[in-house]
Amino acid sequence: MSWLRRSARLKKEWRHDPEALMLKRHFRELSVAAALGILLLFLAVAAPAFYQAQPLLSLLTREAPTLVVACGMALVIISRQIDISVGSQFAVCSVCAGLLAALKWPPFLVLPASIAIGALMGAINGTLVAGLRLPSIVVTLATMVTWREGLRWLRQGEFVNLPDGVQWLGLSQANGQRALIITALVVLVLMALAMKHLSAGRFVHAVGSDAEAARLAGIRPQLVTFSTFVLIGAFTGFAAMMNIAQSPQVDPKSGTGLELKTIAAVVVGGVAISGGRGTLWGVFAGLLLLACISPALTHLHIEAYWEKAIQGAIILLAVVADGLRTRSEKR
Amino acid sequence: MQKLVSFLALVGLVLATGCSKSANTPSGSADQSAGKKLTIALMPKSKGNAYFISCKQGADEAAKELGLELLFDGPTEPDPAKQNEIVENWIALGVDGIAVACENKEGISTALRKAKQKGIKVLTYDSDAAPDAREFFVNQATPEGIGYTLMDEAARLTGGEGEFVIITASLTAANMNEWRKNIEARLAEKYPKMKLMVVRPCDDLKDKAQSETTTLLSAYPNLKLVMAICSPAVPGAAEAVKQAGKAGTVKVIGLGLPGENRRYVKDGVTQSVILWKTVDLGYLTVQATAALAKGDLKPGANTFKSGRLGQMDIKGDNVLLGKPFIFNKDNIDQFNF
Repeated sequence: MSWLRRSARLKKEWRHDPEALMLKRHFRELSVAAALGILLLFLAVAAPAFYQAQPLLSLLTREAPTLVVACGMALVIISRQIDISVGSQFAVCSVCAGLLAALKWPPFLVLPASIAIGALMGAINGTLVAGLRLPSIVVTLATMVTWREGLRWLRQGEFVNLPDGVQWLGLSQANGQRALIITALVVLVLMALAMKHLSAGRFVHAVGSDAEAARLAGIRPQLVTFSTFVLIGAFTGFAAMMNIAQSPQVDPKSGTGLELKTIAAVVVGGVAISGGRGTLWGVFAGLLLLACISPALTHLHIEAYWEKAIQGAIILLAVVADGLRTRSEKR
Repeated sequence: MQKLVSFLALVGLVLATGCSKSANTPSGSADQSAGKKLTIALMPKSKGNAYFISCKQGADEAAKELGLELLFDGPTEPDPAKQNEIVENWIALGVDGIAVACENKEGISTALRKAKQKGIKVLTYDSDAAPDAREFFVNQATPEGIGYTLMDEAARLTGGEGEFVIITASLTAANMNEWRKNIEARLAEKYPKMKLMVVRPCDDLKDKAQSETTTLLSAYPNLKLVMAICSPAVPGAAEAVKQAGKAGTVKVIGLGLPGENRRYVKDGVTQSVILWKTVDLGYLTVQATAALAKGDLKPGANTFKSGRLGQMDIKGDNVLLGKPFIFNKDNIDQFNF
């Protein structure tokens, strides 16, 4: 019986030791980071060619807009909603921003326009979800299809060719790439700090854990929900600008699958799909892990057939881990 | 709440179809009584599409040469139901021949069969309907033509040796796999010193094609050429090669539209873009439809004389446009789609 006593004592210590507590609270984030670390280490041994400055910089630049949208998605999911229209919003913002840039609008005017268009689409979602209490999955499904098909009708799949100087915003390629990556990281850090230290951030958590309790505590859950949708729209508009700044033309299909990518990153990163829990650091680790799979497989000469299966398995693992955790917490 | 959902759906529908109403009534007048002038109706998958606008250019040319009346109408966006409506209108007008680029194989076939029963000569071009719904299909490019041309062009650019990779839309797309089969057959038959390293899918997205190519360039440092066989992948691959600073060292070729690739072709990143001459496709389609209506072209024929294009081959019920066309630095400015 001594082991039992010992484990009880350990448990006690666990509870009082702040370091151990931290470890436990952030177990999900840390396990994703560990998985990412293992993958990166493995690649260092098995495929050192993965570590070349230029390709990595290019790949990370491609993921930078996704990270910004994923930050917005994390907020929406923490507040117990979902937005599957981000991919379509992204495409609409990209094409609009591209057309404005093609009309020789300077980037410092195109950027706010793109953000405004995104925020407007977010406000439409937010009004329908928060104002009329419709389920967000239905609302954003409808807007996803509407925006995407509207765009198809308008553009017929035709690319928007951008004038010279839009790509990298006049910077050199390497500096432009660094600027975009740093921008995305700044957004991440600011949002992570805001979620922890601003009351607005805590409101999002509160509404996601228990909207009724939040209401009784004086928070207006519908306003919080509306705001998260406007925010993710604005973030998507911002991300769209980051996307067109790295290419001389805009594919009107860009953003296809973005909703899946970002939701997957959020879920893998340890945000509870049932709301109320999660951090942006976890989302960051989740996004990096998922983004590494495809290049890793190419470097390891593994058939492309496996890519989606492996990504799916990682998501499944994350969801199962969440389910087990929720069950053990309830006990 | 349900009302709102259905309202939303309605808004979506209106957005999707609303502005194509103008396409409902065929433009131009099909005045049959004015002599024995033939009326040929040509339908694109969608009217505003640059690809089909350039088809129409050739169609107009053929119509002028043959002195016939050409109706050109189609949905504003790719829409099978709208295509049916337009065919029904043309049947009511009593045109002599109809040529359709079908958006949906099954969807259009019933309407086309009806037209055939009314004695209207029916052809398809660009993409086919069910074989019994039309007399001929004007085939712009056989899988063999595409596959062989791509592989030959790859060999020409690399001097017939070295590693290359293929970017496809998806590993399951039937047409792409057919092209791939022909590329590999040509490779095995003629170019023993070239080696296909890997085939990667890009989900028909330019951005994903760029990421894939970036990774491929670092995973296969000896790569000589990237072959992109779906149209968004060509500029995507080119952007990756450009960002890697390997423009010219790693060649880029692919199947795509000149307009999307013009910048990269001019910058020397993309060497060749392969497609058929869309103007010729429109020209040949109208020529064939007119010949069929006049009785000059009958099912079972092996060749067919098509104005300025000369003798065209017919394989079964496929009128062949012939070898694909290669766009490069020298000629790409002549094509504005």
